[in-house]
Amino acid sequence: MTALAPLATLSRRRFQLTTRTPRELLVPLVTPMLFALVIAPALKEALHTGTAYEAFVAVGTVGLLVPLNTMFSGLSVIVDRENGAQRELLAAPVPRSFLVLGNLSVALAVTAFQVVALILFALARGIDFHTGAAGLGWFVGAGVLFAIGMYGMAETLANRVPKQEEYIARVPAIAIVPWFLAGALFPITALPGFLTWVARFLPLTHGLALMRYGLLGDASGLEHIWSMGSNTAMAALSLGVVAVFAAALTAVSIRVFARTALR
Amino acid sequence: MIEVRQLRKVYPGDVEAVKGIDFEVAPGEIFGLLGPNGAGKSTTIGMLTTTIRPSGGSARVGGFDVAENPLAARRVSSVVFQEPVVDRSLSGRTNLELHARLWRVEPGVARQRIAELSDALGVADLLDRAVGDYSGGERRRLEIARALVSEPRVLFLDEPTVGLDPRIRHELLEVIGRLRAGTDLTILLTTHYLDEAERLCDRIAVMHEGRIVALDHPQRLRHELGRELVELHVRDDLPAALAVLRAHGIPAEDAFSVGSTLTVPLRDLSAGEAIATINDLGVATAISAREPTLDDVYLRLTGDRLAPAA
Repeated sequence: MTALAPLATLSRRRFQLTTRTPRELLVPLVTPMLFALVIAPALKEALHTGTAYEAFVAVGTVGLLVPLNTMFSGLSVIVDRENGAQRELLAAPVPRSFLVLGNLSVALAVTAFQVVALILFALARGIDFHTGAAGLGWFVGAGVLFAIGMYGMAETLANRVPKQEEYIARVPAIAIVPWFLAGALFPITALPGFLTWVARFLPLTHGLALMRYGLLGDASGLEHIWSMGSNTAMAALSLGVVAVFAAALTAVSIRVFARTALR
Repeated sequence: MIEVRQLRKVYPGDVEAVKGIDFEVAPGEIFGLLGPNGAGKSTTIGMLTTTIRPSGGSARVGGFDVAENPLAARRVSSVVFQEPVVDRSLSGRTNLELHARLWRVEPGVARQRIAELSDALGVADLLDRAVGDYSGGERRRLEIARALVSEPRVLFLDEPTVGLDPRIRHELLEVIGRLRAGTDLTILLTTHYLDEAERLCDRIAVMHEGRIVALDHPQRLRHELGRELVELHVRDDLPAALAVLRAHGIPAEDAFSVGSTLTVPLRDLSAGEAIATINDLGVATAISAREPTLDDVYLRLTGDRLAPAA
């Protein structure tokens, strides 16, 4: 058995628990689907925009789906602590960081499943994505790193708040408010000047700009952040921002878990 | 197998739950930590299972220091917690298999042990049901089976029978008593049920307010109170009654009270003589004599002891 075998065991456990609660798979998908299938087409009609706007919003909804799903995954940490087997896992001969990483791996897998479902729905509705291998690489890199960072945030919050109710009350502020500022529905330059400046610091702004660059070949989001000539350089910088976000939040979440789980 | 030296735990807010305790548990021994709620028993188990961080002192489990080598200490031990700690939506079998994999038991060996243990603990027929559907006793037996799947050298049982009805409690005590048969499994259990401690434990440590106030074999602790004691319901205030008893030759150094009941270990005095004297003095509304139990030892050590104040 390898040193990572316990991590695989913990991931498998989380997966088994997740598949027994289908709401964890489906509920986060509802709002983004509503945006992609109902609100975006309605906006297109009302504002007389073209299919490009539908594609713009389709990627924007990924920026809502990822935070919602990872935040929902964080709820399982509280369930484990209050009514589950967390103490048994803490007494197991495995590094405590594996408990966080095991949850993270399943949150990533579920998020990936949901993003793929969203993209497939968009394709079925005739939305055209212009991408190649490199573009897909930017899209996947941005999506995975952003999801890792958001799960780190969810895990941190779940370990800091005592009750599910308190956790749920904070989800909109973390998962939804940044989405309105990060260029999901309109470019960040359409925001008031001060908020445009704030939006440039949001990891989601970088994530969405990268995903659009990767999936639609549209570098305008990156230009609104960096104002540089080279698309690749801007993409690399934004990927760096999202990577730092992912690494920092993962490190924080492991530290907070270890400190709060051990009394 | 377990060595504890000056182990301390101070929770935030300067709450000192464990105040520098020392004890050792030999291989194959069943050792009981006995004490009222809040005595520090569960905190002690938490520190030994590395789920609570000690504030001072040291502890070794199976030869491994819990602070310096926690993974090795956890590898040789298992724990059954006071509250249910299971994945309720998963089946009993999945809960057991999960434990086996985390403790790195080979799959073939794990299958065999799960079959044997579930049979021995009477949960074989339940294994494929979700644990959320188990009764309290069934769940507790499953948790004990789970703890044994990895063949630990040290088993921690934190209040294993708390909240169970008397029949299930009785069955579980039999199971725990049988666990040792044919193995050198070391068991540290906490309880506030004295009959449980007396029945199962080779030695017990009585904890009170974070300290160990007595540590010995249960019989020896009982014998410390002598062959007999008298229990009297006191008419007036207890210290006054105690003073009267002393003045008339009844030894009351170890007397203790619960409400208006005063219990006086008699040492070498006979119960007949003591009862006759107390009746003549008229300080009690009712008197009875009996042999000391572990309850008396426990109450003397953790309850309202009158002698020091008298």
